[in-house]
Amino acid sequence: MVEMIKKNANELDANFRYEISEKVGAKSLLKCIQCGVCSSGCTVTEYVDMQPHRVVASCLLGLKNEVLSSQAIWTCSLCHRCTERCPKNVDYSFILALLRNMAVKEGKIPKEYSGTVVTIYNNGYVVPYTGGLKVNVDRRRTRMGLPELIPPDLEEIRYIIEETGLGDLAKQEQGD
Amino acid sequence: MEYALFLGCTIPLKLPHLEKAFRDVASILNVKLKEMEGVSCCPEPVSLQSLNIDTWMTLGARNLAIAEKMGLNIMTICSGCYETLKTVSVLLEEDKEYLAKINDILKKINYKYTGKTKVYHFVELFSQPEWLEKMKNILVKPLDDLNLAVHYGCHLVRPSKIMQFDHPEKPEKIDIILRALGAKTVEFASKLECCGYCARLQDEIGEKLVEDKMTELCELEEEVDALIAVCPACTTQYDRKEKIIARKSGKKLDIPVLYLAEIMAYALGVDLQDLSLKNRSVKPDKLINKLTT
Repeated sequence: MVEMIKKNANELDANFRYEISEKVGAKSLLKCIQCGVCSSGCTVTEYVDMQPHRVVASCLLGLKNEVLSSQAIWTCSLCHRCTERCPKNVDYSFILALLRNMAVKEGKIPKEYSGTVVTIYNNGYVVPYTGGLKVNVDRRRTRMGLPELIPPDLEEIRYIIEETGLGDLAKQEQGD
Repeated sequence: MEYALFLGCTIPLKLPHLEKAFRDVASILNVKLKEMEGVSCCPEPVSLQSLNIDTWMTLGARNLAIAEKMGLNIMTICSGCYETLKTVSVLLEEDKEYLAKINDILKKINYKYTGKTKVYHFVELFSQPEWLEKMKNILVKPLDDLNLAVHYGCHLVRPSKIMQFDHPEKPEKIDIILRALGAKTVEFASKLECCGYCARLQDEIGEKLVEDKMTELCELEEEVDALIAVCPACTTQYDRKEKIIARKSGKKLDIPVLYLAEIMAYALGVDLQDLSLKNRSVKPDKLINKLTT
């Protein structure tokens, strides 16, 4: 569990809830009644520092920094049971993706997640498919009588990654 | 009916024997498939969506636009691809403003997504009455003596408002297919539990989930011959972790994990030697023995 924190009202980010709800529209967290159904059915509920209903409450309170720095937003297995069962139609798993996006913009990205965009940027696939690895995959497929893979159009894929704002992350990690 | 076949990454690159099994089934049942040119990763619904929703949606829309150019609906063979492509198509249908924004990006590389392409998972197709009937009629090796446990996985069924795949708390489409092939399917408490593959930060989450499910299955009164999954992530997660946990804990966990198309291919007449059933951590020796005697 998170440690108890004390904050004055003027230290809270009153706009945080609207920043989130603006992007999720009808599935907004503003309707949350803190019933806890999301947390009781959550796959990772025993492993998080903040359970789903508390993440939502913290967003509503404006505890932006605490939420974006929590381990909870990255521990989720995206099983979507919270979203499925919410009686108020709050889309917690999508809100969580949004919170992760916000954390990424602040440079808070676990290494388990950042590598994906590098792999896709370099291969078009989420699995490496260049050089010797490509030769092995192709050979194995031919042996099984499977058709040759039509490679992804890397130029187009890189353009989209750059145009939507992940270009720096894809290239920065590449340089590491 | 012809479909644009969306292979994804994990199956064609790491588990091609699953692709082979699916192609065999499609060919036996006369489902026409057309290869898609230039498609990328779906993209992967967990980490790419977490990094940037716009990148995830736009790459997904590009894949949908490629099928649209072909004039075909998409057939997926992986739950991750199914989740991404279906979610992107549903969200863009609901939000025309966002669709316009994405099309602005796609325009520069000569694509336009209008929303015509529908996204299917092969379970949706084969669980329809006419296909079940067709399978029953051409069944070569009925699975009469088999007791199978089904793992639906999360991304096929939830969130049901988007996926519209099956009942979110009591799905039965995979059970229906297996029963049409002659097998019995078992009911068990942890049937709808997550495999934990996508909980990347803590390995112990996945290990606990796999141990719980496999232990329950091994303790059922009627012996379970195999766990049947439809997602490459779930399939490998159960297979690999089951072996590791058995070694660590000393528990006798030995239920093989098969991809649905593998057991379908067998029942529809594909030779055992053409299926790579031994290509996994928990060897299905007992199952093969039962099938061949």
